[in-house]
Formats: sequence, C-alpha cells, structure tokens
Amino acid sequence: MARYLLRRLGFALLLVFVVSSASLILTRLAPGDFTMEQGTTIDAAARAKMRAELGLDRSIGAQYLSWLGGVVRLDFGRSLLYSRPVNALIGERALNTALLATVSLLIATLVGIPLGVYSGSHRGGAGRSIIRVASVIGLSVPPLIGSLAFVLLAARTGWFPVGGMNSAAGATMSWAAWLADVAHHLPMPALALALPMAATLERLQSQATEDALREPFVAASRARGVTELQALIRHAVPTSLRPVLGLYGVMIGGLFSGSFIVEVVTSWPGLGRLMFEALRARDLYLVAGCAATGAIFLAAGTLIADALLALTDPRVSLEGRR
Amino acid sequence: MNRQPRALLSVLLLGALAFTGWLVYRDVQPPPVGPTAPVAPAAPVRGGTVTSSLRSEPRSFNRIAARDFPNDLCSLLTLGKLVRLDRARQTIEPWLAEKWDTSADGRTFTLTLREGLAWSDGVPFTSADVLFTFQAIYDPRVSSIIESALRIDGKPLAVAAPDARTVVVTYPAPFAPGIELLDNVTVMPKHKLQAALDAGTFAQAWSAATPPGDMVSIGPFVLARYEPGQRLVFDRNPHYWRKDAAGVGLPYLDHLVFEIVPDQNAELVRLQSGAIDMLQQQIRPEDIATLRPMVDQKKLQLLELGVSTDPDAFFFNLRPEQWAKDPRRAWLPRKEFRQAISHAIDREAFANTVFLGAAVPIWGPISPGNQHWFSPNVKRYPHSLDKARELLKSIGLENRDADEWLEDAAGTEARFTLVTYRGNSSLERSSFVLRDELKKVGINVDVQLLEQGALIERMLTGKFESIFFLFSNSSLDPALNSDFWLSSGSAHIWNIGQKTPATDWEREIDRLMGQMSSSGDLEARKQVFNEVQQVMAENVPALFFVAQRLYMGVSTRVGSLSPSFLRPQLLWSADTISVHP
Repeated sequence: MARYLLRRLGFALLLVFVVSSASLILTRLAPGDFTMEQGTTIDAAARAKMRAELGLDRSIGAQYLSWLGGVVRLDFGRSLLYSRPVNALIGERALNTALLATVSLLIATLVGIPLGVYSGSHRGGAGRSIIRVASVIGLSVPPLIGSLAFVLLAARTGWFPVGGMNSAAGATMSWAAWLADVAHHLPMPALALALPMAATLERLQSQATEDALREPFVAASRARGVTELQALIRHAVPTSLRPVLGLYGVMIGGLFSGSFIVEVVTSWPGLGRLMFEALRARDLYLVAGCAATGAIFLAAGTLIADALLALTDPRVSLEGRR
Repeated sequence: MNRQPRALLSVLLLGALAFTGWLVYRDVQPPPVGPTAPVAPAAPVRGGTVTSSLRSEPRSFNRIAARDFPNDLCSLLTLGKLVRLDRARQTIEPWLAEKWDTSADGRTFTLTLREGLAWSDGVPFTSADVLFTFQAIYDPRVSSIIESALRIDGKPLAVAAPDARTVVVTYPAPFAPGIELLDNVTVMPKHKLQAALDAGTFAQAWSAATPPGDMVSIGPFVLARYEPGQRLVFDRNPHYWRKDAAGVGLPYLDHLVFEIVPDQNAELVRLQSGAIDMLQQQIRPEDIATLRPMVDQKKLQLLELGVSTDPDAFFFNLRPEQWAKDPRRAWLPRKEFRQAISHAIDREAFANTVFLGAAVPIWGPISPGNQHWFSPNVKRYPHSLDKARELLKSIGLENRDADEWLEDAAGTEARFTLVTYRGNSSLERSSFVLRDELKKVGINVDVQLLEQGALIERMLTGKFESIFFLFSNSSLDPALNSDFWLSSGSAHIWNIGQKTPATDWEREIDRLMGQMSSSGDLEARKQVFNEVQQVMAENVPALFFVAQRLYMGVSTRVGSLSPSFLRPQLLWSADTISVHP
C-alpha cells in the first residue's frame, strides 16, 4: 500500500510539473505578452522598460529556469496582472472550485448511477426512454448554454440567486447562516456542471449494467433462486461499477476545465475565472499556477477513483496496480 | 417501446419546446413604436444602496501605478483630483481645489485647496499630498502609468506647495488644454504611502490584497469590503466634503455594491431580474428589444447617452517597408484605394446591419458626440459603387478575367487580409459587412479573427495588412490624444512611432497639431483642428464608418443621474445618485 501511494505521489508530482511547465512555455510562446494589455497607450520605450521590469525580456530558457527555481520552493512566482504572489491568488479561489467540483460530482453520481442502473436493467418502457432522451440532451448541451439556461431559470423563478457564491450580507453573517447562504447559491452552478456528467455516467452505467446482467455468474445466481432485484444489486451493480469508476479520475480532472465557463457565467469565484483572466492577459506565472492546480485535481481524482475501484471490486488490489 | 409511452413522450417534448418558444418569444417581441414615457424625477433622498455589476475586478487600487477600468472606477469613488472634467457638460470644474489663477503666459496655475478637507481617517488633506503625488508619478522606480501623459515636450511639470492650501503647477512649455491636464492626476495620501515611496515599493502598494482598512478615501465612498471574485462594497465616507444645494451632505447613498459578473449575458439577466440596478457597460443594440418590456413596465430606464466618441477604426498598414516587395505595392497603400473603399460602404446600411440602427454615419475619428471638436464640414465619401469603381480603375484595378474580382495589369488580384478582435461581436460583424460590401466592387477580403493580445502584438510590430479595431480616446481634447495624431505617436495606428514623418500630409498634421496644442485661443485651436480633420479626410489613413449610439439600462429606483457617454457613464458623479424609497 505504501509503495503504491508513493508511486501515485510520484506520478502526481510529475503530472503537476509537466502540465505547469507546458502551460508556462506555451503561454510564453503564444503571440503577444503581458505588455499588450496596455494597448497603444504606451510608447515603445515605455513598453521595453515594462518588459525589462517584469523580466519578460529574458530568453524563454532563462525565464523558465528562474520560474522552476521558485517552483522547487513551492513558489509559483508573482502574478503580472495582480502584482501578487500566485500562491495567494490560487489559495483564495481553489477552495471555491473544490467545493463546486465536489458537490457537482456528488450530484452527478447520485443522479447518473441510479438512473444508469435503472435504464440498464429495464428493457423497454417509458422510464428508460425518458432517461435516454434526457441523457442525450444532457450530453449535447454545452456547459455555456446549460449555465445560461440555469441563470435564466433562477432569474425567472427566483428559486435560486442568479449568481455568485454568497450574498452581499454574507460577510456579516454567522458561520451557520453563511453556510446556508453558500448552500443556497450552490445548486445553480453545481447543476450546470453536474448534469452533463450525470448524463455521461448514466450512459456508461446503463451499458455496464446491461453487460453485467448478461454475465454467466448473474444467470447462475438467478438459477439459484435469487430474485431479479437481488441479482441486480448483489451481483450486477458491483461489477458494472468498475468501468464507471475508471472514468472518475478523468472526470474529476475534467471538472476543473468544465468549471471554467460555468464559473464565468454563474459568477462563481473559482479558479476557472482566474485562469480565464490570466490567459487573456498572458499572465504566464498565473496560468502555470492555475494549470498546476488543475493537474493536482486530476491526480487526486485518479487516486480517489483507484481507491473506489479497489473497494468495489474484489478482483482489484492497489498493490497489484501499476 | 410500445406506442402509448412514445406518444406521451412526444407530447411532453413538444410541450416543452412550445413553452421554451413562448418564453423566448415573450422576450424578443419588437419594441412598441414611439418613445417610452420618461420616469418622473423624484427629490433625492439620503440613504439606500445601489448595486451594479462589474465585468472584471481591480488588479490594484493604486491609480498612479496601474490602469484598468475597475481601478479607475474605484479611484473615482474614493479619491479625488484638484480639478475634474464634468463628463455630462464636457467642461472642467473645481474639485479638491476650489479655484485657480492662471498666469499671463498660461503656463502657471496657482490652485487653492478647499478649506477643511480631510481623508476618511480624519487626517487633514493638504498641499503636501499633492506634492507627494507628483513625486510618486515622476519617481522612476514607480513607472507610473500616467507619467508620460504628464510631460510636455518630454519635460515634467514643476509643482510647488508654498503653504498648506496652495499648489503652484508650472508647465515647461505652453500647453493649450491648460488646467484640463490635471484631470489626469488622482491625489494619493502622503501619510499612508510615503513609506512605500521611500522604500521603492510604491508600485506594489495598495494592491488588490491590501486590506480596505489600510486605505483611506477623500472621495464620496470608502472601500468597506473586497471579496475577490465576488464583490466590492463601498460605504459612505463620513468626511466627504461636498454638499447639495440644500446643504445636505453627500453622497446620498449609504452603500454602493459592485457584483463581479464576467459574462455579459448573465449580467443582462441580473438586470432583468432586479438583482442589480445598473451595469457599467452600455446595452448592446441587440439587447434593447429584450429590455423594452421592462421599460414599459416602468421597472427600467433606458437612457440614451448620445453618440460614442470612440468609433471603431479600419486601417491599412502604411509602413513603407510592409509593401516594398509586395506585388500589390502599386495600388494597395494608395489613398485612392482607401477612398474607393470609403465610397463603397453604405454607412446607413452598415449602421443598420451592425448596430441595428443604433449608430450614425461618420467620416472621421471625431464623432458628433465630441461636441466641441467635431467638424461637420470634413470631406465625405457618399455611398457610390460607380465612384468607387472609377477610383479603383484610376489605380489600375479592373476586372480582367471571368471571375468577380478586380486585378491589376500584372494580374494580381485586388485582395487583402483584415484582422479583427475575436469575441467582440460588433467588430466581427463590422468586418464581415465590410467584406460583403467590398465584394460588390470586386475587392476580395479575407477576414481573420485573433484574440486581443495577438492582434495588438501584430499592430505594434507592423505584421498586418489591415485591421478593424476599437480605440478609446483618453480625452475629448485632441491635444490630449496627440499620440494618435502625431506621426511619432504610440497610437498613430497605421504607422506607429515614426522617427520622421513618412509622408508630407503627416508632416502637415504634425505641424498643425503643434500649433493647435500651444495656442491659448480656443476658437483659433478649433479652426486649426478643423484643418487637421480635413487633411485626415483627404488621405483617409484610417476609415471610420459609424459611431454607435450609447444606451444604459438603469433600474427606475435609481434617480438623480447625470449620464455621460464617457466611462463610467453613470458613476462618474456617484455622490449625487440617490434611490427612491
């Protein structure tokens, strides 16, 4: 177990290093730099001075090595846009994104898996058809449209706030009231993010359940007199969860990029918006920091998925996984 | 699947589609004919909160070191200037200085500060704060963003403070805009920032991470809370100096809240739902119909602010080196080519297609919105495809083969690439309209969409054929926007930063602008500037087709507004805004 965890940690570190390095280098290589933010309001001399002050006039190698020196000390540099340490900026937003991602994943799981089991185990019937149609719609609607639809729904019905993470009075509330306020703001962005995932999970789980129900050991259990429901729950579902859980790691990593547009539209103060601003302004250190955080999400997601897989499928052991 | 559930499903789906259709239809019904009834003005009442959206958040609260719209907005609310531009009337008015005297040569201004001014922490505001601000601006370690704007002929202004209420500002050379130049200077508190200036860390001071309690205000509001990514909350500054005509202390509002809403569509939905009272952006023409029902229900005021002073510009790369080895060099950089394009564009149709009618035709960079400097007599190029073809023929472009495009005598097709800003819907539409209009006279345009940073980089390095882009004038007085007019200027977009003027007409504009910037007689300056506009119109280095009419949407609960077409259109005079009970 310890060896396995060490290996996963090594993989996570490598992933964070590669992703953040690639982000920094690609942002640096893209046309334009941070000084383009000033447009034509400064002359060539002032622009050159600004570049020198920000270290943007150095070669890409020198810039990368200097940044790498900081990263070794867990210092991702200073944001050009905000003149603040990248770590501090990410610290402010990462928890918000993590909260949104966790709740979305929970909703997607609680909706997608049971519906998938239902549709996979019920051949024919209106219920299965309705679930399929809903899943296809969920899969086809891009997060941008989904988010806008939820914002519109919130505005028209007043069921949820139209955006943000808490109310203007949030800062003066007690902890309990603040938590309730955040919980009131969560459903809209969380649903916008969760529904496409729920649809994906439903489709996968449905197919996996159908396949599992056709397995000989399930037929054997039926022959032993186990009811259809018991065969489904005791034998088919645990087996069918394996391919679905395998997807979780990727899905958790995808949550970060998926939350990008949802956060912008629903005004959720997360990392996605920060990265959006950073990319637009060519703030390469902030881009690299945000990308590293996304990679941490992905690595954590893969680890959680592996652990869940080991828990649900006795054929899988963490020791044996490479 | 048997038939009954399938039929039921179909009915459900059709029902859902019909319901969605009805919701959409309800929103996009055409606006009723005729103007909407104005909202009755009410006497200002003290108290209440106004909530606005803001697309992005401040990167810093230091107005000397950084420049972005949220920073500018925050400094307008919390800081002050010696004199300020009344953005509604386009005149300069006394602000922290109650009066000033101008020397006979027009170069020295002696300003008297108002008595009893104090920062929000109770510390008196004195001429030492003004002196300190200029020191910070000119300190090379600060790299102030406004430093270059506060130089005349490359030299800094001389500032002295003979006593606590007197500031003497001397210009190194005659400068026609005079005292208006000081509208650029936001005064910073010496007692809070002197240590940072001494330590060489002024540029990092008052960053977005600075606790609001560490900053002070002399404006109508103090920053009470900044929740990154979410909102800014401003409270009334109890030490604010201004009173209304009845002697009531301003501002009227208790609080001003800015919700950070990065998405334009989400912002509009919030306005419709009443979650916010106003936006900091103008309403897009395509959204006006959506808001009209709210105007009819008297929930929203749709304010027409006038014609924008920042029209979008289309221009070619006129750097000689760009075309030196290009087979199109005989005709593409010529003014007849640009004049032909100007004739080929139906500006009325352009306004209707791109801005749904909410724009007026223009023929130069100064739009009718700039009341003082606009000249209605500059040369115009009326829509005429025949005239356009005639001009194109005069530079050797004719249709010499079976296709629809013109060619020169060597067979080179009349074709160029136009680069514009991806994500700006009006610029994208404008570019495609231009392409379609020019197709009618046989010019082939390849439109290329780029994100903003890449586009600006191309513009600055001269790696483009033509660009359609938007520019913001920093001031209404052209002398304060000389970087656009002068051949050496950083915003001389068609050929930036020339060492010596590349053409005779640019040399002439340089001469006229020099004359215009140093004359003290306003009418004489206007005459000279009319000449500048004539030279520009004759040579059309940049083409301007329409200027947008600007609209702002504001909740009817908000009153005492003095709208201006200059940003921030409503909050530039936030101290006099009130809400109806």
